[in-house]
Amino acid sequence: MKVKLFFLVFLLVPGVSLAKVDLVTLPQRDHVQLTIYNSADLTLIKESRSLTLKEGFNDLQFSWVNTLIDPTSLEMLPLANADQIDVQSLTYPPLLKNVGLWHIRSSVSGQVPFEISYLTSGLSWRAFYLGTLDPDEQEMRLQGFVRVQNNSGEDYEKAQVRLIVGTVHVIDQISFLANRQHPYGSPGIINFEREHWGGGEDYDADALDMKDAIDETFYALADAESFREEGEMRTPKKIIKEGLSEYFLYTIEGRETVPNGWAKRMPSFDVEKIPVVNLYKYEEERYGSQVVRFLSFKNDEDHQLGETPIPGGMLKVFRQVDQEKHLSYEGQSGFKYIPVDEEVELNMGGVQNVIVEPTLMDYQSANYMFDRYGNIIGWDEIREYKIKLKNTRPIPVKVEIKRNIHNSKWAIQNQGDVGTYEKIDADTVQYTIHLTERENKEIVYALTTFHGRRADYQ
Amino acid sequence: MKKNMYLKSVIMLSMFCFLSLSVAEARIKLVALPKRADTIIRLDNPQFTLIEEERVLTLQQGLNKVDFSWNGVSIDPDSIRIDILSHSDQVTLLNVSYPPNENALVWEISSAGAREEKIRVSYLLSNIDRLITYKSVADKAETQVNFKSHLILRNFSGEDFANAKVLLDYGESFEEGIRHEETKQLLFLKAGTVPIEKVWQWDSKKQIWDPEEVDQNVGIPVHYRITNTTDSNLGQNALWNGKMRVFQLDGHGSTILLGEDAVDLTPVGEDMEVYIGDSRDLVVTQRKMVDKQTNIRRNTSGRVVLYDNEEQVTAKIENFKDTNAKLKMVQHIPGEWDMHSCNFEYKKENANTIEFEIDVPAQGKAELVMHYFRRNIRN
Repeated sequence: MKVKLFFLVFLLVPGVSLAKVDLVTLPQRDHVQLTIYNSADLTLIKESRSLTLKEGFNDLQFSWVNTLIDPTSLEMLPLANADQIDVQSLTYPPLLKNVGLWHIRSSVSGQVPFEISYLTSGLSWRAFYLGTLDPDEQEMRLQGFVRVQNNSGEDYEKAQVRLIVGTVHVIDQISFLANRQHPYGSPGIINFEREHWGGGEDYDADALDMKDAIDETFYALADAESFREEGEMRTPKKIIKEGLSEYFLYTIEGRETVPNGWAKRMPSFDVEKIPVVNLYKYEEERYGSQVVRFLSFKNDEDHQLGETPIPGGMLKVFRQVDQEKHLSYEGQSGFKYIPVDEEVELNMGGVQNVIVEPTLMDYQSANYMFDRYGNIIGWDEIREYKIKLKNTRPIPVKVEIKRNIHNSKWAIQNQGDVGTYEKIDADTVQYTIHLTERENKEIVYALTTFHGRRADYQ
Repeated sequence: MKKNMYLKSVIMLSMFCFLSLSVAEARIKLVALPKRADTIIRLDNPQFTLIEEERVLTLQQGLNKVDFSWNGVSIDPDSIRIDILSHSDQVTLLNVSYPPNENALVWEISSAGAREEKIRVSYLLSNIDRLITYKSVADKAETQVNFKSHLILRNFSGEDFANAKVLLDYGESFEEGIRHEETKQLLFLKAGTVPIEKVWQWDSKKQIWDPEEVDQNVGIPVHYRITNTTDSNLGQNALWNGKMRVFQLDGHGSTILLGEDAVDLTPVGEDMEVYIGDSRDLVVTQRKMVDKQTNIRRNTSGRVVLYDNEEQVTAKIENFKDTNAKLKMVQHIPGEWDMHSCNFEYKKENANTIEFEIDVPAQGKAELVMHYFRRNIRN
């Protein structure tokens, strides 16, 4: 089923009732622009259509059956002769669903370009990443993609597609506003559904902030898509990234057609040879007894990145196993938005090929203190730990071992020459150990904790 | 059954040529249905199976659309990737479209010229995996085994693979075809003769202390210890976890099954311990002979606040076999302690576990006596 958003222009002779309108034109969209958010189910649509107006009053009917358009967001603006055209009202007629009637007073006649904007739900986008590690896992090719999904009920052909990276504050779900029986609800009936009137403006405000920028490029891009010669070699479309307020705006070069029900994935960036660190972490309280593999890199220039933040998404990591580009699947990891200069650690899951085994080797207590009644009021506990590390992989790895002490007064004495600790917080220390290929090491340390009154002396 | 409709390949790759750049309706004609060429089934990741298949596309100059669709199989769509092999500088993937309600995607590929292009499509396919099994045949003296390992390939993916290269993360690859619902056993490691050590193991936490107190026989677990090193004709790679069956030559040209066990992943240099069953010819009787408080410290009200506990444990080991036996004995002493005297050497495994290796002669006995103090017990 193809659902069409259609636009009908009616000419009204003043004084004649609505029932006697004549259909004059059915203008096509000249241009449509989609600004798709991914933090909320929300898309700002701007479409331009040329309408033929007559001097005097004009009524325009706009209907959106089987779509997910928020009727409270509908707006119509003339893009020319703005001082001579007055969009006086928008009426939602009774008994008709998904229909709006604009009442326009014009001092000019002829073709006038209009911009109609509204919010809809059902369009979404997500970032997706492919990582391909070198055989020695020192460098990774990172390919970013954006995948646009259209479940809005409407086909958008040759649309300019823009994606918003960032978190938008909305207080009403667009799908709720779109599915309501009356566009703004109705008074007198206790409405159990959550509604916010002022809130409607909330997200519009952000969109309107960008309006100036949009208007400048609107027409420039509108007809820029020249029909290419068949057979001409093409490259993937570029995605232009720019910062706006707290958001990043991704504009996909040229036009895209995303029919209803379809999704489309487009390349966003492709960076070769990002230096990565093979990091393995061990922390009993967090990961249990398994070692968890991380791939770590930084969103900065040293890593061939750093121009823009990287939107959160899912990364699938492969490894190139030979010169014939054969692949091995390493795992996947979801990650959060990575700001510029931020380091990212991708959790690739538990592994068996790097082993960390901590063992409590000895336990003693000492330095008992007694009060004048002979009761114990303080003592020390000394625990000796041995941590065995094994790298069974044919590549060097870095291992981070976090140890939680569960006591605020403590002292550590390292025994042997492997590993010095770094204090992370009041009761956590971390050992960072580099292992060469197939290397085994052992960390040995004695932890003294002070209890009761003994803690007071530390 | 819907599946039966797809007798051959259910993963389809088809090419469409577009006469113009206009959308959807422009799927005009099927140009070629490229056959699957070299296929690799990569099983190095225990959770995911990666399929790589090569196909030759006949590209037209300009824009080409290539459909990749599947039916009756489970493919993670985000895992599908295409690599252009022969002319990667002149053939470019522009984008990927996902049609509604279909297990399919459409690659839009731009080519600088009309040519045949070799591509490789990779994807993660569900319900195809591998198991590892081991089979060892011990000699009569139980000093060595003939060690081999099989790869079990199970294909319930819905897809037939006429001929594929099956790869693990090490070892030889196999050229094999495998059909849907087919399982194949392939020999992939033949180590030959591998020395073993037979170990009886008694753990004071797991085993009954006094067999006389129970009616039935109390068995002592028996393990074969195999070391994953080159000295043992192994040691090339880690040995995966899997099921091990141990047989023994019976001296009459046949074998008996000694037992089976699920073995853990064994990295190079580590021991694989295979539990084969319980021995009734070795009997351990352990008793606590001394158990008393000493060094008692009381508060002014006379309540005990701190004390030590003196304990003496004896373990009598009897070997009714006509061969010597090496018993690994595991003892647990809780809390803080120090050993006062012990008539066998031990190795401290951790703060509360010590291990002995006690040789018990054929038809003979041994007795362990541990005398220790548990310190600073608080009330």
